[in-house]
Amino acid sequence: MESAKTQDEKLQMLFDGELAPDEEAALRRSLEGSPEGSAQLREWEQLRAAMKNASADWAGQIDSDALFARIEADLSAPVIPIDRPAPQPELREVPGSRERRVWGAAAIGFAAAAAIFLAVIAAPEGAAPGGSPGVTRGSEVLEVDFGANTGTIFEVEGGAGESLAVIWIDDEEVGLP
Amino acid sequence: MILIRHLLLVAVLFGASTAAAQGSSLARSDRAATVSSVPAEVLVVLAKEEPGKVDPQLKKLTALRRPPFNSFRSMAILSRPKLTLTPGKDALVSLPNGRRVKLTLLRIMPDGRYKVKAAINRPNKSDYLPLLQVVASAGDPFFVAGQTYQGGTLVVGVIVDPKKTAQ
Repeated sequence: MESAKTQDEKLQMLFDGELAPDEEAALRRSLEGSPEGSAQLREWEQLRAAMKNASADWAGQIDSDALFARIEADLSAPVIPIDRPAPQPELREVPGSRERRVWGAAAIGFAAAAAIFLAVIAAPEGAAPGGSPGVTRGSEVLEVDFGANTGTIFEVEGGAGESLAVIWIDDEEVGLP
Repeated sequence: MILIRHLLLVAVLFGASTAAAQGSSLARSDRAATVSSVPAEVLVVLAKEEPGKVDPQLKKLTALRRPPFNSFRSMAILSRPKLTLTPGKDALVSLPNGRRVKLTLLRIMPDGRYKVKAAINRPNKSDYLPLLQVVASAGDPFFVAGQTYQGGTLVVGVIVDPKKTAQ
């Protein structure tokens, strides 16, 4: 004897028209003696009819041509890349920037002039003779010619630590001009 | 943009003109200094190794107590002539040994020091010291020593502008 599951599967196949002709005839003869099977078939047939009626009502309410036209239009529309960069914001001139450039350049120019001026001012004073702050103290030999004699140049420290030049000549003559 | 260039040009020209004016003022002062006369003093000292007195006026010259002068135990000032040095003009100082010291102020340096030419000549003979050029600051001496005289050694010190000495 067939299981309930097998009978139910065959009944579904009968309803879906998937049985061979001889199997379908045999199953129908068996359903004549099966009120449950017949009831199941009738229920399925009612459901199918209701669904057909509902789909027919719904289909009648839409414009299928417009629907398909819209679908085709959406499919043919240009593809927008996902990572498209955001458009650059429009640049605008900040009020007063030009004025700042002008004054900045002028300030740089005057600073350069001031630097030149101060560099000259900071240079060692030329007019003030000895004794002024920063003047080199002492004495030094620039050039010497001993002539026929020999000599030596020394440096001796003065009272203030300055270096003083000493030109020592080796005298060959004794007290004679 | 044109305004910026004009302002920069004005600023740089201002600085350059100021620097030029300052530099020219230095040049003028330098030229002025070369034509002015400066006082000078010559110390003619007889130094001997024998123990003796050291002239009190020389005690301020600490250099005369240091080498190569520290072997001298006595020092006497033979003369102390004062003279005026004028650029380009020779100033002569007689020495006790018959020789003469010729001093010439060449120029005043930009730093205020004096460039001096010195020579020691002998009458009717070749120069004893043909040429010596020294640069010295005001009040700081240079010495020419070594000439033998009366058992000692002549030490000639030259001080330009001695009133400004710090010693």
